[in-house]
Amino acid sequence: MFLDVGRLIESSQPRPRQAWGWYALLGFGAVVVAGSYAKSQGAAADQAMSAVLGLLVLGVVVAMSVVAGSAARAQKQEQQRLEAVEELVQLRRWDQAAFTLDTLLSQPTRSEASRLQALIYLASVLARYHRFTDAITVQEYLLEHAQFDPATAHGLKLMRAMAMLHEDHLFDADRAIGELRRESTDSAGLALIEMYRDVKTGHPAEAVEMFNARLPEMRNQLGGRVADAYALAAKSYDLLERESEAANHWEKATLLAPPAELVRRYSELTSINAKYPAAVRPKQGGTP
Amino acid sequence: MSSVLRIGLGIAALAVLSLHFFPVGKVVSPTLLLMGLGLVWMTLWARTVKGSRLAAESSNLIASGDLDQAEEQVGLSLRSFSMSKSIKSMSMLNLALIRIAQKRWPDAAILCREVLSPSGGVTENLSKSSRLLLADSLLEMGDLRGTYDALAGLYSHRLTLGEALNLLRVQTDYLVRIEAWGQAVQGIETKVQLVELMPPANSARTQALLALAARRAGRADWANWLIRRVELLADVNEIAKSRPELWELWRKAPEAPAAPPTPGAEAAGDAPDSVV
Repeated sequence: MFLDVGRLIESSQPRPRQAWGWYALLGFGAVVVAGSYAKSQGAAADQAMSAVLGLLVLGVVVAMSVVAGSAARAQKQEQQRLEAVEELVQLRRWDQAAFTLDTLLSQPTRSEASRLQALIYLASVLARYHRFTDAITVQEYLLEHAQFDPATAHGLKLMRAMAMLHEDHLFDADRAIGELRRESTDSAGLALIEMYRDVKTGHPAEAVEMFNARLPEMRNQLGGRVADAYALAAKSYDLLERESEAANHWEKATLLAPPAELVRRYSELTSINAKYPAAVRPKQGGTP
Repeated sequence: MSSVLRIGLGIAALAVLSLHFFPVGKVVSPTLLLMGLGLVWMTLWARTVKGSRLAAESSNLIASGDLDQAEEQVGLSLRSFSMSKSIKSMSMLNLALIRIAQKRWPDAAILCREVLSPSGGVTENLSKSSRLLLADSLLEMGDLRGTYDALAGLYSHRLTLGEALNLLRVQTDYLVRIEAWGQAVQGIETKVQLVELMPPANSARTQALLALAARRAGRADWANWLIRRVELLADVNEIAKSRPELWELWRKAPEAPAAPPTPGAEAAGDAPDSVV
């Protein structure tokens, strides 16, 4: 199965480190024994052994440099692949991102940090493919098995709550929203999720109230994704039968994001996409 | 310094090995000397790794906005010994980033020039980052010739998406300053798609600059469309404060800027009309 979450989580575990310490200790013991033996065999043997040991030490230093260099190169390659995935996700080239992630996570990663980062991208790609149950599995795994900085953990929890809403796990989503609210009161992402919950559960007045109260934060924190908030506000106004406001907000939403993209993100917007006109994007060559 | 040290250690190792073939090798144990050299090498390498860790930590602190702590870490990294020039260059670039955040543009420019100097031993990645930061600083200082030179050096490199976005931001700003309106709006559709990937504040400001360029280039359709987007994305007063020429888009005098669009008014459908 392509992007099989269970398989990828297992296969990407970094290999345990080799016990080089024991090998080094054994080698050191062998050197001591050989040195004592050479000494007992006379001055010529002692001198020869001394030269061999010198070369051996030099060999170990060179070998260590080669191994360290090779490990650093492999680590750099993995990092470059991760950066490529990040760019593909940003550019919304989901198929390529999914393929690269499948390849990357199908074998043990060089470091746990790279693996966790790749799994975060995997959750985004799965959500894009509307495989929300799989996305939740990855997010739960990450939150349970790794320590993230507060901003990353908050972002993951937001993604999980949004995925829960998409999957109609309303009870779980409500609990997740409560947890997020205790962590941060000024999160624009949380405001957007609460608007979506209100739209889904048939509380459009609350969604509009949230939109009006939290728009400045959403604008500052979400950037272009504030289009989602305008779109959900439009849907709410439509549910409240305030059609001129719905049309106004839908036009603003589509000024910032293409209607098809908004409908893909929230299937609930299909009806208003058909009902209200979208903003017209200028043409490259001339006036529209 | 670090190259000299590495070459010196290599020569010393060979010299110690050759002791086996000379009478002095019977007085001083070459193996012990070699082990001593190995210990010195490992100690220096451990300090280099520590410096690298400090540089990486300061990058994270800058990203999280903790500039004071980041500056402290950068100071430690710059003062510590390192066998790798690129670690020192990375720390200097981090310090340049901090200076830019503090709006100390001349200091940032000096640091970037130091990294780019032939003695900097800089890698391609660091070279690209320092050129971008240098162009940004020089532009803020009003040195357009210097900005052009810094930007010109970037076109021969393959850029990552993040670097391409930074280049687009600085380049658009530069083209607007030299009033190259046609060039600024060239490929505007692709430019807008890229600008959408920038962080919110940079995205809004660059779209405002593109709107100005579009208006001056006679592309009222793009100008109107971009102005309306900027109004939805940011406080136009804040944007125009940093680039007074942008007041033209809203036809407000810089001395007496009108109140920004309020969220409540927007929500009620009363967004300010763009005067084009």
